Amino acid sequence: MIELIINHSSDQHPWFQRARHAPAGSNERNFYVWSDTDQKYKDARIIFTDTEKSNWTWDPVAQAYYWHRFFSHQPDLNYDNPEVLEEVLRIMRFWLDMGVDALRIDAIPYLVERDGTSCENLPETHAVIKAMRAAIDEGYAGRMVLAEANQWPTDVRPYFGDGDECHMAFHFPLMPRIYMALRQEDRLPITDIMAQTPAIPDNCQWGLFLRNHDELTLEMVSDDERDYMYLAYSADPRMRINIGIRRRLAPLLDNNRRRIELLNSILFSFPGTPILYYGDEIGMGDNIYLGDRNGVRTPMQWSPDRNAGFSRANPAKLYSPVIMDPVWGYEAINVEAQQNDASSLLNWMRNMIALRKLFQVFGRGTLRFLETSNRKILAYIRQYQDETVLCVANLSRFAQPVQLDLAGLEGMTPVEMLGYVEFPAITKAPYSLTLGPYGFLWLEIQPAIAAAEAAAGSDGEEAFYVENEQGWQSILSGEGIRRLEGLLPAYLQRQRWFGSKSKNIVRVKIADSVLFDEHQSALIWVGVDYVEGDSDSWLLCLAMSFGESAGALRELTPNQILATVGSAARTGVLHEGLQRSAPGALLEILAGGQELRTRGGTLIGLPSSVLGSLRGSQPLTARVGSAEQSNTSAIFGDRLIMKLFRRQQPGENPDVEIGRFLTETTNFSNIPPFGGSIEVRRADEELATVALLQGLVQNEGDGWQWTLEELDRYYESTASVKSPAVSANASEGDEVHPEAREHAAIYLDAAAMLGRRTAEMHRALASGRDAAFAPCNPGPGDLETLRDRLAGHAAHAFDLLKTNLSRLPEDIVESAGLALSRRGVLLTKFRTLPGLKNPGQWTRIHGDYHLGQVLRSKGDFAILDFEGEPARPLAERRAKHSPLKDVAGMLRSFSYAAFVALTQYTTRRPEDFAQLESWARLWEVSVSGEFLRSYRESIADSPIVPADRADFDQLLQIYMLDKALYELVYELNSRPAWIRIPLHGILSLPL
Amino acid sequence: MAAVEITEETKQQVERIGSADVVVGIAGTVSPEELRARAGHIMQELGSGVSSLRFVFAWPAPEPAAEAAPAAEDSTFAMLPFSPPALSAAEFWAGVSANQRAVLNLAASLNARVCIVLGPDLAALDAHSIQLFAYAILERQCGLAIPVYPVAKYDGLINSGILSPLSRALYGRRVRNPLAFDFAASGALCAPLARVSPSAETAGNALLWPVTIAATQFPQVPVGQVHIGVQHKVATEGLELSAVLGQLTGSIFQEMDACASHWQRIRGSQATPTWGNGSENQPDGQAIDAQPLLDSFLLGSKSLDEVWRLLLPPNTLLELKRLTRATPDQFRIPDDVWASIVYDFALAYRLRTISRVHLLGALTPLYLGWVASWVREVSNLNSAAAEQRFEQFARAWEEKKPYLLSRWRWPDRFNP
Repeated sequence: MIELIINHSSDQHPWFQRARHAPAGSNERNFYVWSDTDQKYKDARIIFTDTEKSNWTWDPVAQAYYWHRFFSHQPDLNYDNPEVLEEVLRIMRFWLDMGVDALRIDAIPYLVERDGTSCENLPETHAVIKAMRAAIDEGYAGRMVLAEANQWPTDVRPYFGDGDECHMAFHFPLMPRIYMALRQEDRLPITDIMAQTPAIPDNCQWGLFLRNHDELTLEMVSDDERDYMYLAYSADPRMRINIGIRRRLAPLLDNNRRRIELLNSILFSFPGTPILYYGDEIGMGDNIYLGDRNGVRTPMQWSPDRNAGFSRANPAKLYSPVIMDPVWGYEAINVEAQQNDASSLLNWMRNMIALRKLFQVFGRGTLRFLETSNRKILAYIRQYQDETVLCVANLSRFAQPVQLDLAGLEGMTPVEMLGYVEFPAITKAPYSLTLGPYGFLWLEIQPAIAAAEAAAGSDGEEAFYVENEQGWQSILSGEGIRRLEGLLPAYLQRQRWFGSKSKNIVRVKIADSVLFDEHQSALIWVGVDYVEGDSDSWLLCLAMSFGESAGALRELTPNQILATVGSAARTGVLHEGLQRSAPGALLEILAGGQELRTRGGTLIGLPSSVLGSLRGSQPLTARVGSAEQSNTSAIFGDRLIMKLFRRQQPGENPDVEIGRFLTETTNFSNIPPFGGSIEVRRADEELATVALLQGLVQNEGDGWQWTLEELDRYYESTASVKSPAVSANASEGDEVHPEAREHAAIYLDAAAMLGRRTAEMHRALASGRDAAFAPCNPGPGDLETLRDRLAGHAAHAFDLLKTNLSRLPEDIVESAGLALSRRGVLLTKFRTLPGLKNPGQWTRIHGDYHLGQVLRSKGDFAILDFEGEPARPLAERRAKHSPLKDVAGMLRSFSYAAFVALTQYTTRRPEDFAQLESWARLWEVSVSGEFLRSYRESIADSPIVPADRADFDQLLQIYMLDKALYELVYELNSRPAWIRIPLHGILSLPL
Repeated sequence: MAAVEITEETKQQVERIGSADVVVGIAGTVSPEELRARAGHIMQELGSGVSSLRFVFAWPAPEPAAEAAPAAEDSTFAMLPFSPPALSAAEFWAGVSANQRAVLNLAASLNARVCIVLGPDLAALDAHSIQLFAYAILERQCGLAIPVYPVAKYDGLINSGILSPLSRALYGRRVRNPLAFDFAASGALCAPLARVSPSAETAGNALLWPVTIAATQFPQVPVGQVHIGVQHKVATEGLELSAVLGQLTGSIFQEMDACASHWQRIRGSQATPTWGNGSENQPDGQAIDAQPLLDSFLLGSKSLDEVWRLLLPPNTLLELKRLTRATPDQFRIPDDVWASIVYDFALAYRLRTISRVHLLGALTPLYLGWVASWVREVSNLNSAAAEQRFEQFARAWEEKKPYLLSRWRWPDRFNP
């Protein structure tokens, strides 16, 4: 880069000598600006006020005045003469042809003069610059023009044009304000001038500097500011020249290393290209006793050798003397010494420059100042593409605290850029920092490492290469298994049926697998280990689909896609298998009594005796049930439903066992008929049930949905009716509230029917005589064991509630806290169990009895799903219990229904909530009462329930509490917004 | 950046062929007859989805005019000889890289959708490998597909000990073989990969690091890996470890310096999707006697102690001193220490703390010490377990990366 001086020449230049001797009006004379009077262009200011009294000087040879904006020995060229521009372009091309990369155009605002103007920044001047730029663009690629225009930013802006004048321009007004801010320990001068700095074209850039070869110019400051700067930085009048201060960086800052570093940190981090003045990188001093600005132009101090290593000439012959005083002299400050000093300013500068070059954001990013209450702190954010840097500078000589509002950057981690030190993550709270005297921080704002990895991997969906579209080999063997196991934790967490979402998975291991469906699908058994708690086992059904069907799956059920698969011919997806042909294939396995070898055992189909009649002779189309359940159901036409048991446990599933028993051994017909099962048998292991097939019961919806619809009608009819008075202790012994009868008559009758069917079911289940079904009388030890188990469950539920307290919605926290405060009292309820005089008999029961487990069918109910609570161990679910456990389950379900329907209804009409809450309570009490009344009547003479009313009630309450706590755990793991319902149930129980 | 030049004869052949879907290029001299025969066989073996593509098989022929082979009769593929770049035999990897660039350049000229570059021993020239590479690029839209080889646990230790973990830590791609004999590139990446990095000081370290180029210049372009069940036999006779180590580490350090602004902004690493089936039963390889390696380390610690002091911080020097006193059974270089040693050498390379030739030479005994430590550690592991151990080792490099960054950004000698 070279300097190209196009505004003026020396008065010794041949052009000027030729001009002064040429006749007036000749082309040669007109290379410069002449006048017969010195009164033209009177509005133009004098720049070198110390030496020049006028911009005109009389030339006795030419017998005319010539124009000069600077010294009288620097006559201005006349751009009104087209030949001048041609000559300047020729000179410019000469240098560009020599290979220079860039031109610093000196004194660019003063090229053209016009009367009645300041003769600065004129349109004609811009025309000259545009012509120069056009010449560069036409013939030279990758070259640059830097404008020296000591003007206000708004006046400099036109020198960028529309990106068609100068590529760069110095930002003159910023420089003195940096010094002012430092001395005043106030960021305002800097933020103020930057606020006045306009945007520039994208292909342009500001040139920033702290010092240069001229004086620290104070032209672009107010009078007061200028006076302050003189007082602050030029105690000796010899330090001043023209309208500025002729000093170098280090002397201006009293040779304070921290101040030098601070100002350079601002220079390097502000938007623009930093330009260092030679010698400032080693902290060179100046010589104020030299004339003009020569004090800051002394020879570079390379070494402690003669003439500072700058010249081998006789020292007396040097054009400019080297600095020799003890503080600033070349023997103390020189490049050679600083190169050998790892802690030198030179090495500091090198490191800072290298660091700056690593980040494009410094050169190209946007700048946003952060408002802080402490004005001694200058804080700003630079941002470019995905680079964000927070810069904080302490302008004070003392340590300063600051709190920064970093809204929008929450969750990000600031990393100190010099030492790559990670700072605390940004939160919603103000970000606190403390900076030492003249300290500064550059903090790269980075996403947290996990987020960064997630983002980096977001487009890298795992994919398996398969030999062909039935090529499971690369998925279910070797490396494929390990990769599949790596994908399963995230996949399981996305599946509704996966009931261990609240646990942290350590590992998923594939335990067994079998291909079926002509190798289009696979059943895969996986073991899951958790950070806490026992491991468990789950069953996956996976399939591969290719082409258009894969695209449809991606669109419709993205959560059920595990990975991408591809053969050389087509790309597809590995996905939940029941969505395709797997259900039909499973039905064939079952109906045909097929046996398939798995990797570790045998998969066996076991049809029931009635399957043939249930299935019929027509082909059945399979579809997957849409209801969200702990298992997955496939429905075949209108005749069959197959349930795939997701959680795999050793032992026959109670749903299969009870279904078979009730269908083939009893007369109880309010269940779906049992069609058969599929089980897997492995050596040294108990068999496990894979699937259950049942006849499909024609119905009007499940009991839950039907109940919600009934409740919606109920709330609609009661919304405008005055709230009923509901006794908190109302029970089934009381007469049904007349208003409940008026608004919910159908449901009350249905509840009574359900109570009766429940009792009949319990009687049927108790009718067995083999060990699996014969009722038994619990002894004291059994009741104590039950007590301990229930108390254990309860303690776990309370612990989980406590752990999750901070995550709960605010309106639930109070109820949760209240429930936790009753922990002791509630746990006492379980202790009363062994004291029951007659607890009734224990029988096989439904085990997970609620409205979702019954179907409304032709004015009656069919009872489904004897699997028990899937989250509990199979042995426990197959164990015998008091039938009142089922009763408690149904009563809790009524409570759920009342409040879920209320929530749904008042979502549309929130103003009705308070009014309807007591109607909800009335419904719950009335329906529960009818259900219980009917149940009691139908079971009255059976020994399986306590004959004593008090024992009956006490046992029922214990089971209701247990059920509510079970619900609490479930909701905490799955649906935190529904926690209010079990909490209400817990808090409603009599203490 | 300069691209490898195509000779006039080759240009004429390229023009004659016009365009191609897949260019399979060999990065070394081969027998044209064998290549043609195997190419024909591969085309027969390829499934219908791939074989419908227009293939060109390119190879470096010392005398292209004489070797020029017309397209096969059935026109499903064409043969394209090209003039190999001139390089001395000692610069083995530079020669491979130069040929790889030449192939990529041809692929760019032919507007190929995929360029598959294969090692000169033709070990990977089979339908399975071609199909996998093509799958990764065409079906999975990868810009780059890098192979995973079924190497024994004692094989490729320069790669396992330095190149792979360093590349992974720097560029955030978990790629097992950043400097592979074989790889595939999409059409868009052919031309950029064919260019010689301007940072390369000599032809010797102008190696082609495809993963580096992809990660730094095309960060959004996916990189994949494919399990190709082939093993390359590299003739090691006449090659001196120090020279090979110097060439490889010098080159990766060079790239590191040139790409500092990129890798300094990469945190963590992302898994690289991998296709194909890795063998479960990889060979364990021949056992290695660690004692000569230890002896070399101890000898180096005596003769190079002063050099190491210029390059390594006191904590590392203390650790090395401790190692010199350790019995062979106790001798183990912790992963983070080894990572920091390589990082410090990379920094010294950048800063030219000492002559770069001497610097890379001073790494050799340390590397042999690490090999001794590693082979002892994995001696009782099968290959799968050794691979898991490598994963742990590579993570240590990632965890140590902040150390590299802090040293790189502020290379003050006054550090722990």
